[in-house]
Amino acid sequence: MSFTLTLVRTIVVVAGYMSLTGCANVKPWEKGTLARPEMTFEGDALDVRFTEHVYSSKEAASGGAGVGGGGCGCN
Amino acid sequence: MISLKYLDYQDSQSGQDRIGVHAPSIMVMAPVAGVWSVSGTFTSDVVSGASPAFHTEQLTKMKDHRKAVDLSVTRYFPRGSLTLGASHSQESDYISRGLSAQGTISTEDKNTTFNLGVGTSDDTITPSYGGVHEKKNVTDVMVGVTQVLTKQDIAQLNYGFSHGRGYFSDPYKLADERPRERNHRTILARWNHHFAFTDGTSHLSYRYYWDTWDIRAHTISGEYVQPLPYGWTLTPGVRFYTQTAARFYLPVDPANPSWPTFPSVNATEFSEDQRLSAFGAVTVGLKVAKQLSPDWLLDVKFEKYKQRSDWAWSGTGDPGLAPFDARTFQFGITRYF
Repeated sequence: MSFTLTLVRTIVVVAGYMSLTGCANVKPWEKGTLARPEMTFEGDALDVRFTEHVYSSKEAASGGAGVGGGGCGCN
Repeated sequence: MISLKYLDYQDSQSGQDRIGVHAPSIMVMAPVAGVWSVSGTFTSDVVSGASPAFHTEQLTKMKDHRKAVDLSVTRYFPRGSLTLGASHSQESDYISRGLSAQGTISTEDKNTTFNLGVGTSDDTITPSYGGVHEKKNVTDVMVGVTQVLTKQDIAQLNYGFSHGRGYFSDPYKLADERPRERNHRTILARWNHHFAFTDGTSHLSYRYYWDTWDIRAHTISGEYVQPLPYGWTLTPGVRFYTQTAARFYLPVDPANPSWPTFPSVNATEFSEDQRLSAFGAVTVGLKVAKQLSPDWLLDVKFEKYKQRSDWAWSGTGDPGLAPFDARTFQFGITRYF
């Protein structure tokens, strides 16, 4: 788990650095584009679900984007 | 919001049909009292066709009907959210129950959002030929950060860890004895960029996966969302995938290609499942959506998938396996309230 801790620490440090150094000094009134549905990471929920289900039943790798969702006998 | 989607999936090897899936699905999402949202999904999967008993040999007829329900409740806070979810999936020979919790918290300027998720699933496996009653338990933990980079760029980095114990073998395959433990880790990086001059948006993502069965996999995907006049949107996409073989995968014996490969006498772990071999895969797809009115959205998506042993980026694929292809078709309609 030491690798896990290192990675979590790296993520926190990088994100903290980016927000402190003003890498993202984007103001609320400048977020019109970012608020558009195609700029979010969620996407079309049913499409994403079908696609992940198909890939996880044909390939060995799975996961990465979230937790939860039921397993099945197809893999 | 109510969304209906219909999936039609068909795969094949060397032009010969294997598994077909017809899956209607419905999702309902509703805000409650301003700070809550509830969401539910129901999917009915009818799976039929033939599946190889080992490698890509001895196609054996199968048919199953899976019913899956997911429910989730989200509470929104000024700078974050908390989601609790439950899922249940049932087939004649497989039941899976899952619980999950996910939280997000943003910095004051909302340019950085941290997320943490924990999920667990309990599965019961009872193959149709009887005599086997097995269990599998998987726990997933995920941490990540989403960062606004510019007015047109947003990126996400997730790290996931999964710990699984129990029955991982495929009860319908010959010579399939897998370890009773499987832990995997994933790193996922995603980046969305908006192009002012086309009004289009690109989605790029990379995932690295590695597990305790010695499988390592890279997934790179990209799509581009182009809005057009009259409510049309075109989204072409491409995906590249490669994996190494599980350390206990037994390749096709070139001397006896249509027979199972015999494990060595003292081997306790072995599998001749194509999905545990080394291979590479490519998907190309196109989604077309049409906003009919502010309340109604129609979409269709078509994808083609090819999996080949000699497309593995690292490690050696198994040249004795037949080439595998699949195509999916999705049709969806959404009503917003």
